[in-house]
Amino acid sequence: MTAVALPWAPIRHRTVVTERPADERDLVLAAQRGESEAFSELVRRHQRRAYAVARAIVLNHEDAEDAVQEGFLHAYKAIARFLPDQAFGAWLHRIVANAALDVTRRRKVRDADELPETVASPFRDPAEGGELRRRLKDALDTLPERQRAVIVLHDVEGYKHAEIGKMLDIPEGTARSDLHYARSHLRQVLGAVRSGL
Amino acid sequence: MTDHEMKGPALVRDDDEITSHLRAIVAPPVDAIYWNGLEQRIVARLGRGREEGSWWALSSRAYQFGLMAAGLTLIVAASVFLRERALERRMAYESVIGTPATTPQQVFAREGLVPDRQATLRAVTDH
Repeated sequence: MTAVALPWAPIRHRTVVTERPADERDLVLAAQRGESEAFSELVRRHQRRAYAVARAIVLNHEDAEDAVQEGFLHAYKAIARFLPDQAFGAWLHRIVANAALDVTRRRKVRDADELPETVASPFRDPAEGGELRRRLKDALDTLPERQRAVIVLHDVEGYKHAEIGKMLDIPEGTARSDLHYARSHLRQVLGAVRSGL
Repeated sequence: MTDHEMKGPALVRDDDEITSHLRAIVAPPVDAIYWNGLEQRIVARLGRGREEGSWWALSSRAYQFGLMAAGLTLIVAASVFLRERALERRMAYESVIGTPATTPQQVFAREGLVPDRQATLRAVTDH
């Protein structure tokens, strides 16, 4: 059974975040042959995980969505160079992580040039509510971007140090030390809130 | 060694609390409509990317063709320039050392003959 013959419609609305290597390889091969429906299926399967990777790096939902879109666009353009026996997810996440870092850099330049926008987002940020959470969010936002990415990817998304290292193009040891510093900083915030500071 | 053994229960509890807040802070949208919408936006953007890609491919082919034409033009122009230059050099050389040896003799002979013939003709007709 080839990738093009797969029944697309029934799996359209499934929440799939895990890799299914056999199907995935077929999809990748079909996408490399230029079958756009196969790539759409890859988007369907990987967009949530890609969002999680992007959201670990950028500061807000809108930037995460931009990074996901750009990441998939880059992946689409580079799919011919991807080796189908590799894990598509790991490859894609590296691309999305790079796109997210680009978005963060552009955001910094934009924020330096413009006044902060006050346009309401249709997406309600789940960080709203609760003093501790507000303080933690502020602390997270002020962490260096790499430390923020490492702690979210490790503690929230469950990636291993080595995987994070590959994704962010840093040594595994750097990922470990970033995690250590990020945790220490957030623990201090937690302690300060508890002691009423 | 587990996290509990390394950090102790208090730190683990703190980290768990921090993680639960982080999870809430960076939580993805849960609405299926959102994800369907995002998928459509991504696919639409890929479609635009394809159009840009094909435009670029066309443009790239035109660019390659233009480059080849420019290369050929350059080669032709260079060969014409070199031939012109060689001709100029030859002419300059000839102007310095004179015309080739056979030509002056012929010219001299012609120039010398014409007055002699005219003189002879004049002498014959006069007498």
